[in-house]
Amino acid sequence: MTMFLIKKSDVGKIAEELARDHQVYGPMIEKGSGQTFFDRADDVSEISLSAPIPSNPPKSVVFPQMERVLAYEYDRPKNSVKIEPDYKVEPKALVGLRPCDLAGMLCLDRFFMGQEFVDEVYLAHRKKMFIVTNTCVAPFKQCFCVCTDSGPAASEGYDLNLTDLGDEFLVETGSEKGAVFAAGLGLAAADDSHLARKKKIVDKSISLFEDIAVDSKAWISRVMNRVTTGFVKEEVWEYIGDQCFECGACSFVCPSCSCFNIADVTNPECEGCADRLRSWDSCSYEGYSRMAGGHNPRKPVEDRRNKRFFCKLSYSQMKKYLRPGCVGCGRCAWVCPGDIGLPNVVTYVRREITR
Amino acid sequence: MSQVLNIQDGKIVTVPEVATIEEIRDEIREVKTFYLSIDNREIWSGFKYKSGQFIMLTVFGSGEFAVSLPPSPENDRFHITVRTVGKVTSALHALKPGDKVGIRGPFGNGFPFEEFKGKNLVYVAGGIGLIPLRSSIVHALQHKKDFGRVLVLHGARTPDDLMYKENLKEWQSFEGFETYITVDVSTPGWTGETGFVHTLFDKANLPIDNTVAFVCGPPVMFNTVIGELMKRGLSDENIYSTLERHMKCGVGKCQHCAVGRTLVCTDGPVYTYRQIKTLGEEI
Amino acid sequence: MNQKPGVCTFCGTGCGHFIGVENNRIARVYPSQNHPVSKGRLCVRGWNIHELLDTPDRIKKPLIRSDGPFVEASCDEAVGRLIDSLKKYPPESIGFLASPRSSNEEQYLLMKLARSVFGTNNICLDSESGHRASLNVLHAGTGMAGMLGSIEEICGAEFILVAGIDITRQNPIIGSEIHMAARAGAMVVTMDSRRTQIARLSKKFLQVRPGANKLAVLALAKTIYEENLHDPSFLEAHTEGFEGFRRAFGKLSENELYEKTGLKADEIKTVARHLARAKSAMVFFSSGISGLDEDTIGYIYNLFLLAGKIGKEGCGVNPIAGLNNLQGGYDMGLAPDLLTGFQPLADAATAKKFEKEWGTALPSSPGKPIYRSLADQASELKALVVVDHDEGIVRYADAIKKLDFVAYIGAFKNPFAEYAHVVLPIATYVQEDATFTNAERRIQLSTKKIEPEDGLLPGWKLYSMIAAKAGRAWKYAKVSEVMDEIARLTPAYAGVTHAKLAGGFGLQWPVDDKNPGGTRRFDLAKAGRKLAFYGVSDVFEAPSADDRFPFLLMVGKAQHFWHQNNLMKKTHIPMREYNATLMDYPEGYVEICPQSAKEIGVRDRWPVRVVSPHGEMRVSARVSDDVSPNTAYAPYFVQEMISRFLLGHTEVLRQGEDATIPVRIEKV
Repeated sequence: MTMFLIKKSDVGKIAEELARDHQVYGPMIEKGSGQTFFDRADDVSEISLSAPIPSNPPKSVVFPQMERVLAYEYDRPKNSVKIEPDYKVEPKALVGLRPCDLAGMLCLDRFFMGQEFVDEVYLAHRKKMFIVTNTCVAPFKQCFCVCTDSGPAASEGYDLNLTDLGDEFLVETGSEKGAVFAAGLGLAAADDSHLARKKKIVDKSISLFEDIAVDSKAWISRVMNRVTTGFVKEEVWEYIGDQCFECGACSFVCPSCSCFNIADVTNPECEGCADRLRSWDSCSYEGYSRMAGGHNPRKPVEDRRNKRFFCKLSYSQMKKYLRPGCVGCGRCAWVCPGDIGLPNVVTYVRREITR
Repeated sequence: MSQVLNIQDGKIVTVPEVATIEEIRDEIREVKTFYLSIDNREIWSGFKYKSGQFIMLTVFGSGEFAVSLPPSPENDRFHITVRTVGKVTSALHALKPGDKVGIRGPFGNGFPFEEFKGKNLVYVAGGIGLIPLRSSIVHALQHKKDFGRVLVLHGARTPDDLMYKENLKEWQSFEGFETYITVDVSTPGWTGETGFVHTLFDKANLPIDNTVAFVCGPPVMFNTVIGELMKRGLSDENIYSTLERHMKCGVGKCQHCAVGRTLVCTDGPVYTYRQIKTLGEEI
Repeated sequence: MNQKPGVCTFCGTGCGHFIGVENNRIARVYPSQNHPVSKGRLCVRGWNIHELLDTPDRIKKPLIRSDGPFVEASCDEAVGRLIDSLKKYPPESIGFLASPRSSNEEQYLLMKLARSVFGTNNICLDSESGHRASLNVLHAGTGMAGMLGSIEEICGAEFILVAGIDITRQNPIIGSEIHMAARAGAMVVTMDSRRTQIARLSKKFLQVRPGANKLAVLALAKTIYEENLHDPSFLEAHTEGFEGFRRAFGKLSENELYEKTGLKADEIKTVARHLARAKSAMVFFSSGISGLDEDTIGYIYNLFLLAGKIGKEGCGVNPIAGLNNLQGGYDMGLAPDLLTGFQPLADAATAKKFEKEWGTALPSSPGKPIYRSLADQASELKALVVVDHDEGIVRYADAIKKLDFVAYIGAFKNPFAEYAHVVLPIATYVQEDATFTNAERRIQLSTKKIEPEDGLLPGWKLYSMIAAKAGRAWKYAKVSEVMDEIARLTPAYAGVTHAKLAGGFGLQWPVDDKNPGGTRRFDLAKAGRKLAFYGVSDVFEAPSADDRFPFLLMVGKAQHFWHQNNLMKKTHIPMREYNATLMDYPEGYVEICPQSAKEIGVRDRWPVRVVSPHGEMRVSARVSDDVSPNTAYAPYFVQEMISRFLLGHTEVLRQGEDATIPVRIEKV
């Protein structure tokens, strides 16, 4: 691992350099509303490393909300079928990824590419990707990555990691690719004193987390234990289920949720033609597990909620992700029309334990 | 297919292979059998599957669904048997011989036949539950000498609902095969047994020791049969079934078929009853 | 960055979202975090709106038909055919059925087209009178024909009554706001005959007998009055007409009230005391196709006026529009007797203002609501223009088939088009700038996201083209000029321009010189008038069950939001979710509780016969704890019910959400 320093005024050069042979994505602030999006930067100068945590999870870069994966055309008179796979393969660079979102992406990597089958569509997005992470020098309001071992600084999986040291950024390289790239920028070398400054900044950041996040640190593992072993009372899941509006938002905003639906969208002007669309789906939906013919093994909403929190909080998911499914970004609490964002679920289970 | 990873571990993963419907046979009401072959001869000759596996079938212009494979892996004509339950299956039923469909797969774990050698095999199938068991039954027939007693117990609602009637006849006369049939409701002309399928157990002198049972059918039948088998002393690890779930990808990614901590498409669809009990979900 | 701000156009909540575009196609949607209404939330519909906006199932070419099937036509030809066909009839014989989904600009121009080009006042919204009843009550009482409160103030209300609306299904984000208020300590009370999700999330659930909502409200008012919980000085200083309302209190004894509502004395009294003592209180009720009837709404309004909970912070009598621009529809004068901003057509000064702006006389003969004409065998209606319709129209399919001429104008394919002789496509709402007015009077601008397909015109251009071909040239260079004209004619919209709405989260009307930033809620201090108690009836005909017809059958649609089905069918995930129940019960269902099911001898999904004095139908039983013994619930969408069974109960259906039919349920 090599380390460099880059002046604040020069940090934009990283994205500029990457833009030469990558589509560059990064956090940007939408001017009208003030909302941060992690999105494709047509103009890399729009990327803001000081922007709040993006409202959308960067997983949409590798796992878009709606994506055509193939198109087919069944020519009836000729009785022939043409099938065209349709994956995007342009190299992409993510600049300014927050550590929690990187953790989410690593979950997706392990899930989509590390199981029995490799998901080609995901692979096509992920191939040749360059990742630049950005240490969180202070938490945002809903953050609890300190409870889920995913921040405020990234520890693995990046090509470059940036830390705002005040007047300059510390640039750490995390891969061969990153080291080659950083070396090409002609930067000043950093030394252990800078690393020590980074450590101080990270410690400070940790101390700034809301009490609830710090307080939950121990609790989250205890709750995970409960969820894994199934010792959470039915009433607790019912209490949670009653508050579920079945909107799907928690799955959609979650950096590690990867459930998708597949639909063949037929073209009314061409019988036998369709685009095969894959799009974000959510286990909170009633139709998600419903089988053709009507049998639904997971009909009550509390069973479906239970399933999602199991996914986020159970040890058995670690077999897939090598870490907990929850990365502590807090987005689910933002978007939930009920009051059952993950931190609250931890609180409800905890309340049961302490009762 | 330029994408090198489409065939992974001998399985067609993402882009369906085009196949032709060679022949269609009516089975029972709303159920037809479709004989298929993959057009790409090279892929077709390498297309190998195990009893208990399934494929994803695309009906072009309609959609895709998971369907179990009833033929034996050896010396059996490749086919699927499908009941109309929704939009896509109805679209399949409307197709004619010569029409094209798409195939991905084969997927799923399949039955661990190596472990069954020397054991008695008991197949208990309710209604169209015989479809996913057929492959294994024919396999047992082709390798009868490897097994002890082989019993096929099939129950259906009425005589018209009995599956694979020609096969049943064939199995009934096959040396060393014991085939028992019953219907819930008899119709004029029915001379066979009447009653639920587990009522055949006594008559069949059901073996328990050194025995593996395969149970498939609607949830009510499933639960009754399992209860009866366990009462007679068969242990839950020797009872096998195949689960059905809403499926989209077939390769463990979309997660629609998650049941307990497992995915039916990659960890199943074959489960022992011991496993099923730990899934913590309705069947 | 590829995130374009806009407004969700499914329901009347008006949530903010961002739309992502790839290759001139809608690719994704994301909630707007800082939007004052939705605050980063969307419901299942809103989260999947990109599926609808990207559907290929659109009307893309003008179609005309003589005797045989449709043939494609040029826009010129189809518009010519439309004009010729309409001009064949006297104005009384043509009608316009407008859509509560169209933008304000489109609605306004359709209204202008009907009146100034075709000379008819036969124009109305396709959602019947539910919301109109609410506006009548609120306008008469306060002068404001819209929600008195504000969604933003829900979190500040100490007491919230949810009356007969399945709000977490119908307008989920408003439901969420109420739930959040409850979590923060508000006293949330649900009054309903079915146990809805909001009932489960409420602090108190008043499970009233079907059809007895009005009586339950009366019981609350009576308690407040008789326990002296109201403020006489408020009544004296700020209200008028209380005597009329008070007379109703004496009509029924307390015991009769408890018996007829099925509620207990302490339930009523506790809730009434909470309402009266709260610093601020709000009420929400449904105002869509099957909203409450006007009398019940009058009672609700009167209750809140008596309790002094109108015109103050955190207060409001809030009708909830199920459709995105239902409020805008009435604002745009889509009613036979209204011009924009609830200005009466009969008012000479208003009419003159419009005549001057439009340069033509307004039609003098009174118009009739289209649905009334369709239901009337002796109606003069011969030709009908329908815009962007949902599926409720099947109720009048026979009457529509009998018309000489029908035109359909819309963006999405629709079974209704099968009845048409001319079909004209228009662009979708993401293909042009457009404003929509949500349930809390918030006028929001949704900007253009993608170009319309070749040859497709946005509604305002199509209507302008029709007007021009019919001989009246409107001179709008861009859609914002339509809003400028609306502003000139409509006091509540006087300060609205597209430029002022751009980049923000909308403005709540009235927007004028005095309120340049809009008006969050009705304000007693600024009212400049006394608030009038609404003239309500003191007749209470709560339907009752008897030995022959022991079940009270409720008819509703909120649970499945079925009137949006035409749009839902063009999506994947929402369709799957909304159709799930229909797939389980393909012939429809009647919901009964386990105890009733046992008594009848049926189980879930078993067929039953529902018999009323007027007819019978066969559906499946759905066994659920959400209804009480001897009550039953049937959703609106069951084809058989709409076409046969319910048509025999026209009078009952007028009562909207309160419609209740005594029936017998038998095992088949």
